[in-house]
Amino acid sequence: MTKQNPILRAEDLSKRYEDGVLALDHLNLDVRPGEVYCLLGANGAGKTTTINLFLNFIPPTTGTCYIQGIDVTKDPLEAKKYVSFVSENVMLYGNFTARQNLEFFAKLGGKTNLIKEQYYQVMRRVSLQEKAFEQRVKTFSKGMRQKLGISIAIIKDAPAVLLDEPTAGLDPKAAEEFLEILGELKNEGKAILMSTHDIFRAKEIGDRVGIMKEGRLVMERTREELQYEDLVKIYIDYMKSEPLTA
Amino acid sequence: MPRRKPVPLWTIVRKEIIANLLSYKFFIVILLTTLLLFTSFFVLYKDYKGRLADYELVRAKPGEPIAVLPPNPLSIFAKGLDEAMTRSFEVSRIGIAVFAGQKSGNIIFAYFPTPDFVYIVKVVLSLVALLFGFDQISREKESGVLRLMLSNSVSRAKILAGKWLGNFLSLSVPFLLVTLLGFALINLDPGVSFPASSIGRFFLLVLTALIYIALFLSLGIFVSALTRRAASSLVILLLIWTVSVFVVPNLGTLVSRQMVDVPSVKSLSEKQDQVWTREVLELIMESRAKNGRGTGDIAKNHFDAINRELNQMEEDYRNKFDRLVRLSKNINRLSPAASFVYASTELAGTGIGEESRLKENVLRYKDSVLPNLERGEKQAAAFAYRYRSVGQVLAQGGLFDLTWLVFFNILFFALGYVAFVRYDVR
Repeated sequence: MTKQNPILRAEDLSKRYEDGVLALDHLNLDVRPGEVYCLLGANGAGKTTTINLFLNFIPPTTGTCYIQGIDVTKDPLEAKKYVSFVSENVMLYGNFTARQNLEFFAKLGGKTNLIKEQYYQVMRRVSLQEKAFEQRVKTFSKGMRQKLGISIAIIKDAPAVLLDEPTAGLDPKAAEEFLEILGELKNEGKAILMSTHDIFRAKEIGDRVGIMKEGRLVMERTREELQYEDLVKIYIDYMKSEPLTA
Repeated sequence: MPRRKPVPLWTIVRKEIIANLLSYKFFIVILLTTLLLFTSFFVLYKDYKGRLADYELVRAKPGEPIAVLPPNPLSIFAKGLDEAMTRSFEVSRIGIAVFAGQKSGNIIFAYFPTPDFVYIVKVVLSLVALLFGFDQISREKESGVLRLMLSNSVSRAKILAGKWLGNFLSLSVPFLLVTLLGFALINLDPGVSFPASSIGRFFLLVLTALIYIALFLSLGIFVSALTRRAASSLVILLLIWTVSVFVVPNLGTLVSRQMVDVPSVKSLSEKQDQVWTREVLELIMESRAKNGRGTGDIAKNHFDAINRELNQMEEDYRNKFDRLVRLSKNINRLSPAASFVYASTELAGTGIGEESRLKENVLRYKDSVLPNLERGEKQAAAFAYRYRSVGQVLAQGGLFDLTWLVFFNILFFALGYVAFVRYDVR
């Protein structure tokens, strides 16, 4: 791995919600160009909170998120120029066609002068069927919507990509296709931070895998280290271990 | 990394317009509004023509002491008090007799009154604007689209402004087209002549309607930004709409009646009859006592006494009534619907202010022609009435109501902005 400056960086990041729940506890992580970082953890472990903090959907209690060196809290609009986001359940404008949705979000992402063929190219790249390009999205399966979601991320061409459980609910073939596209993005030099429950795919795609529990990053392994360790066993051991707050 | 252009506001505006054009909601609502407006224009245009024909029959002949106005062509859009204003006021030595001037002959109107433009905007368009606004934030939050939008370099202020503008244009452009087409079609009839000032008034009326519609759109978006579910937003907005369009304007009138004691018209009329009876009886008795000598002077004295007393009664009544109206108007202004009705009817020349001014003019006319009538002259000067200019209307409350509507607009939009900035999009 080349030691380039990280595109995504969390420094001492904590989040305590108004109801007192500590969702994230002094998280430190970074993701460099061409790297896929997978965050594993049970529900409520803090994975989605981390992504929400990177997107400035919620303010941190302490610490700082940086995207391309820009403090997300201080300059969120500048920081968001350098990040794309794919959610667990991509719900777009149902009455719009795939191309119309792509065009709108491309423009929101700052790509204002693209032609129809360029939208089609991106949709071909994610293996969306040609006949679906001008179909209303409300007729799409979840797999097709997720492909459209990743094409929105591709067309923005941001150096960082945040994915919040993007393969949840996808059939194995669709999930495999999705990860292939992620692999391509990684090869293009994107810094990818993905939260997931899927241990097997995290091991397959991740250059680094972090396990979160009760808001803390309790373990981190590189791809090389995982060649000699059983990630499933490590994950289950951490999940079964005593609560951290006990 | 190439520099990315800031997101143009038009991107969001365009998306909102296309989303509306592609929805069934939009077509049903626009169809309904078009149907309602055209029906209203057609029926009230026919009503106006009928009343105009009636006017030709009842209008004062040269020398007759009758004050009667032709129907106001703008009453096709804002009927207001036009029927009351076009009654025939016949002046005689015994006072002013009021006759129904030009009134809709079709009694079925009493059961199913045709809503005019002002009513349609007040009730239907306000509801339509809420239907456009109620799910702008909450629905997109529910679907997750809002997160995707806000993951881009676009501010919440721009999203809110884009949503507002896109929906306002989606709603106002078809509304304007239908309204202007209706106005143009009515203008094709040479029998309906809108003076130049009326055309200006009409456009101001339409502008007032747009401000009123925008206000409800802002309110819809504001409540949408307070709720996490579109269904909750809709229920809250229906409650607010019912209270502001139906409850407050009626409540204000009821409350003010408790605060200002105004005798009923019937009671005033009975008191006037009593004065007449008393004075006539006294006149008869005095004439008998004097064996018919000097009856002319006695009669004149009694008629003068009647006039003085009736004038005093009417003035007291009018003062109390004016107080009641002022108080009602001020209470009712808590609802933007009331402000809209006041502003639009005054601009059309069919409002309370214009009607009150007309009555004052009729009384002055009576005072001016009465000496001639008492002298037995057959010819009275013709009654002339000029509607207030737009400037006068604005200075006498119209501008206040317009400003009040603009204030509501700014308030709801600002509250919507604050709510959206604090909105949890997760």
